[in-house]
Order: sequence, then structure tokens, then C-alpha cells
Amino acid sequence: MTTTQPPGGLPEVEIDPAALRQLADARMNIELDTGDMILNLGPQHPATHGTLRLVVRLDGERVIAADPIIGYMHRGYEKLAEYRTYPQITTLINRIDWLSSFANEVPFIHAAERLMEVEAPPRAEYIRTILTELSRIATFLLFLGEMGLQVGAITPAFYGFRDREYVLNLIEAATGGRFHPNFNRIGGLKDDLPWGFIAECRSVMAKVMKSCDEFEDLVVGNPIFQQRTRSIGIIPAALGASYGVSGSNLRASGVDWDLRRDGPPYLVYGDLDWKVWTHPDGDSFSRYWVRLQETRESARMILQMLDALPTGPVMAKVPRIIKVPEGEAFVNTENPLGEMAYYVVSKGATGPFRVKIRSASFSNVSILPWLLRGCYVPDVVTILASLYFILGDIDR
Amino acid sequence: MSEATAEAPTWSETGSDSLARLDAELGDAIVERAAMAGDPVVRVAPDAWRRAAIACKEVVGCDYLSFVSAVDWMPAPVIGDEGAGDTSTPAQPREQTVGVAGGSTRFQLLACVESTRSPFRRVILKCDVDDAMRAESWVAVYPGADWHERETWEMFGIAFDGHPSLRHLYLPAEFEGNPLRKDFPLLAREVKPWPGLVDVEGMPGGADDEEAAE
Amino acid sequence: MGLISSGRSPKPLNWLLNYSRKYSLWMFQWGLACCAIEMGAALAGPRYDVMRLGVIPFPASPRQADLIVISGTVTDKMAPAIKRLYEQMPDPKYVISMGSCANCGGPYWDSYSVTKGVDQILPIDVYVPGCPPRPEAFMQAIVMLQERIQNEDMPARWRGMEQEPSVV
Repeated sequence: MTTTQPPGGLPEVEIDPAALRQLADARMNIELDTGDMILNLGPQHPATHGTLRLVVRLDGERVIAADPIIGYMHRGYEKLAEYRTYPQITTLINRIDWLSSFANEVPFIHAAERLMEVEAPPRAEYIRTILTELSRIATFLLFLGEMGLQVGAITPAFYGFRDREYVLNLIEAATGGRFHPNFNRIGGLKDDLPWGFIAECRSVMAKVMKSCDEFEDLVVGNPIFQQRTRSIGIIPAALGASYGVSGSNLRASGVDWDLRRDGPPYLVYGDLDWKVWTHPDGDSFSRYWVRLQETRESARMILQMLDALPTGPVMAKVPRIIKVPEGEAFVNTENPLGEMAYYVVSKGATGPFRVKIRSASFSNVSILPWLLRGCYVPDVVTILASLYFILGDIDR
Repeated sequence: MSEATAEAPTWSETGSDSLARLDAELGDAIVERAAMAGDPVVRVAPDAWRRAAIACKEVVGCDYLSFVSAVDWMPAPVIGDEGAGDTSTPAQPREQTVGVAGGSTRFQLLACVESTRSPFRRVILKCDVDDAMRAESWVAVYPGADWHERETWEMFGIAFDGHPSLRHLYLPAEFEGNPLRKDFPLLAREVKPWPGLVDVEGMPGGADDEEAAE
Repeated sequence: MGLISSGRSPKPLNWLLNYSRKYSLWMFQWGLACCAIEMGAALAGPRYDVMRLGVIPFPASPRQADLIVISGTVTDKMAPAIKRLYEQMPDPKYVISMGSCANCGGPYWDSYSVTKGVDQILPIDVYVPGCPPRPEAFMQAIVMLQERIQNEDMPARWRGMEQEPSVV
């Protein structure tokens, strides 16, 4: 398994002399000693992806300080989990990262299975991996479309939603729900794949690869997009890691770390032949580029898994009323948004004693006060779009 | 980073190695240690919480902060009438318990740090919090602990020394109480039993209603 | 208009005004949680295109919107913002409550921070149950709302008389 860099190095970007003149005007603003302005973005704002409130202090167009105020979607998952049984919690945790719902269930179910010392049969693990990667593709297709929208192009958003429909069709055929599938059970899955799924999945993956090429043509190659995103919002690797930034955001800063390969083995990633994509720059463009490559990589992984799908049952033998033995388990996985982890404390009851949910976007957004200093207001929107957080994931 | 070769350490070997390094650095500050499915779980003395963070970051090489939170080990008070047969809420233990790597207080801090440079390397740290409800802040070591500690303060009431500004993160400013404490009641459950308890409801205007009308 | 507020507007005029209003609903561009994604799929996806029903989802400002769709969980922290946004919309305005979180608190009915149903703060015209409701269900709600608007009594609305909400 190797890491890959963008081919041919970084393209040249011409600095427009008119832009330099604009910068000179900005400096004059500061010399005139105009006061600071406090701008409140949100909690309702088309650019904040949900109910995030960002209070920024501006000097002209430049951000001096930024303070994200979260909690507008706080539903109290950790408290609710203490009053529910394990299958009920599985239904609930789908809705943390509501775009890639299947991926949220997997670490929790693995933690419960580890405590019960039950292993899901190989076919179930393969199907879980396929559905997780399908969720990843669905999330990233939306991201690819929607970051274009935030930067100012409407067309990628329509492409993103259109191509997402194919993947959601597949997830719905297998699980019954477009998202929020609630398909995992302790010990396996609720059902097997339907007839015709494999052939349909193969043709959808071909469509996904084609649409990634379209995004590359339409968005990545666009000089306006490049000027809006290159060198905007650079996260240094060490600082990002100490803030807890994870997933594609950290890989876009050059850190070669992917929990599917570098964490304790989970699901069937060890059997597949796949690459981890990194980019040395760490700016918004590299975050977009890394996710584009990861979408392609997920499609390739799914094709491998479809070829290698084992036969057998999809559910291990578990008792009807599930009582998980006493103990603690910590499982973290590479979710589309980053590292998601569950620390489950069980006291032998039908429900857990304490569940600590570590969600990726919480840490990704905590770097915003540092990241937004010194950038312009339109860059704030670009940075928010490129970090790609989901409010349910931040607020839990 | 090199590819996985035959000499690369396994998950539990890395765990033991991390534990050995922490032992060498912290020595007496480690009160208890355990291994949880290959991960080292280390309970440190309350005054060594920040030292443990520095040790993890510099000696063990864990540059990535996963989370900082807490656990309330007190059993939750029983709601509703146990004789009513309400099976919706899972039964909880009746007396205060402890978890992996022990503990002696009601509240315990819980944190996890990982390494992005060497695979499988992570450490789970625990620390008792006494009734004064104060602990050392990790913000100087891992800047990302800022928000985690704000959340822990808000949910449990544990104050962190050295934190730049402990203020509400999730809850509105007027919110009273610390929700994740076990004695914080979920009022909706107390007022009304879980509506899903009944498997099959009678149709409105059906036999049930006719009986009630008679 | 003086005709409408005094109740003397002729029926054909009412019909015409309702007809033009129902086919040019401007929907406030806002979503809270997972239901917003289904709403987005209905709006932006070519599969469930909602613009063919006349609903234009473009206004980012409530001051130019007729319709607001509360799609997602309403928390106690967010409730004052929703109320303020609703009050910023000019009359006649309609509210669709989409998803079980907005209808009644949904799966978070026992949470300490969730408002159990947005009808505690806003008057709702159409409820759409589901978690999340499919885009087709959302479009059914739009169609239902359009029927309500067509049969609406404008003078009564002007005088502030409330109507019973409908459920998809």
C-alpha cells in the first residue's frame, strides 16, 4: 500500500496585478483606523451547512478573531444512550453524521460485539464494508457538489445530488432506507443483499467513476475554483493533529494516516488492495482533491469486494434479548468525516452504562478560531466548505 | 511512513511498548494500569494529569488528541415504578461501580490520544476527580482539548485549571445543571412512560373506545 | 388591499389570487438536520425536482419567502432563532413541519435539549411524518399545501382566523 501525490507538481497561478492593487487599498483601510465590526454568520446561513453560528470580528474584510458557537443541534446523544437498549441506540446513532449514516453504526456495533465476544460472519463483514464505502461515496459526492456551490458555482451541486441518487438507490435496495438504514445488528446484519444487487452495484460504480471525472473537469480544472481555494486555510500537520483534526482534512496536510490501514484491523480493509491519498499543501484545494481521489478509491474497493464476496450467513448466533457483559470497549474507525470513536462502558445490562461518542467534526471545527485569523470573509465560506463538517456530528 | 513489513510491530506489542515508555517517564504517578483489547489503559494520580499528557505527547509520540471526557460512576436513580414492569429503560447497577483500571471516586476523567506517525499506537488515560471537581487542563499540551474540556465542564461540572475560558459549548447560557451526571433526570421519561411500550394499540373509535364510553 | 381586508373581494378574484400564489411559492432556503438532506434532494435533485411544482427554493432571506420548511430537530437553543425568522417573513406565510423531530420531538422525545415539536412555537400548516420522510412525501406535502392555498379564504386569513393543519 503506497501513498500518492498529485501528478506533475502544482500548477502555476498567475497573480493578477489588479488584485495587488486591491490589497493596497485594504491596507489604506487599516491606516484610516476604521473600527472593528462584529459579523454574525448563522445560525441560519446558506454557507454554514446547518446551524453553526460563527461570530467573527472583522477589520474591513479581514477576520481578526472568530468564535464558532455550536450547540444548536445538540440532542444529548450520550445521555439518551444511557436510557436505551443497544438496538435502540443503533437506530439513534445513525443520525449523528446524517449523510453517511451506515458508517456511524459500525464502530458502536463492533464495540458491543467485542464485549459480547461475538464475531460477525465474513459475509456480514464484507457487506458492512461495502455499505460503509457506499456511504462514503454518497457523502463525498455531496461534498464535491456542494463545495462548488459554496465557492459560487451552482452546477456541481446538481451533479452531486444527481449522482448521489444512484448510490442511495443501492443503499435503499439493500437496507430499506435511503439514509438512516439501521441495518447493523449485534452479530451481523438484519438481512442479506437482495437479488441483482451485485450487478447493479457494478454499474453504479462505473457511473461514480465517470462522475468523478466530470467533477475533475468541471471544478478542479476551473481557474476560478483554483484561485478561490489554493493557499486558503492551510492547516499545518502537527497543529492539526494536536487539535484532533482527522480524516481527509489531515491527509490533505500531508499526514499519511488512515485508520482503515493504521488502526486495529476492522472490517475487511486488510484483504483489499488500496491506496491512501495525501496531498502536501494543506489548503482548501488539497482537501477537495483528496476527497475526490478517495471517492474513486472507494469505488475501486467496492468492485474488489463484489468480486470477493464470500457466501454464508449474515448473522451470528446471538440470544434474543441481548445483554452485553460487563466491560469497556473503545473502537475507532475511519468515517467519511474523520475519526469516529465510541467508548462503551457496559455493566451487564441490556443497555450501556456510559457511551462516549467521539465525533470527527467536533475536533475539525475546533480549529476554526485558529484557522480563520487573517483571512477574508469570502475565504471563511471556502474554508467552512472544505473542512466539511456535519452539524449533527459536531453537536451530537 | 514505510509499508507494513514482516518486522512491523503488532497492535499489542505497540501497546506494551507505549506502556513501558509511560512507566519509565511517569513512574509513581501511574496508579493502575490495564490492557483493554490491546490498548494500554493507564490511571494516573490527579496531580499528574497534565504530566501524563506531556509524557504521551513527547515520550510515547502520541501527537493526536482523540477526546477528553469523563465518566460518572454513580448508578442512575430508578425512575418510575419498578413493579409496573416498565422494561423500556435498561436496568442499571444498584451501587457505585468502577471500570477498567479501577477508580475510587464518583467522577473519572477519560481521555484518549493516538499517534499519526506509528500505527496502532494509542493510550487511554483515566484519572480520578475528587469532590473539589477540579482538574488540570490539557490546553497547553493539546490545543484541541479546549473544546473537549468545555464540554466536560458543561456536562459534568468538572472545572479545569489553566483553561482560557470555561464557558458553555452546547447548552444555552441559561441552562441549569450538568446533564450527563447520573442524578440529572430526563424529565420527559419521568412524566410519561415510553410510548413505545405498548406493542399494539386499539384503533380510535374501536372496541376500547366503546368500552370506555359505556 | 381594501377589498380583501373588508371581505368584499369577489370569488373569482380570490380564486385567481390563490391560484397564482400556490404556484409561485418561494421557499426559504433553510434546513436543520437530516430531513434537510431529503429536502435538498427534493429541491436540487433532478429526480424529485420540486421546481416543477412552482416552488423556488432560492431566497436566502426570510423577507422574500412565502414558505418555510422546518426540516430537522429543533433544539431549545435554536427555537428563538426560528421564531425570529418566522416573524421576519411577510404574510401570507406557510409552514411545513417535516420529519418526526419537527412534528413531536421524534426519536429525541426524552432529550433535555430538544423542543418536542416545533408546533410549540409556530403555527403549522402541514405535517410530514417520517424519519426522514422520502422526497416524494415532501412533495406530497407541497401538493397538499397548494390545495389548501387554493381553497383558502383570504378574508378569513386576513382577519387572523386559524385553520386546522393537515397531515400527509
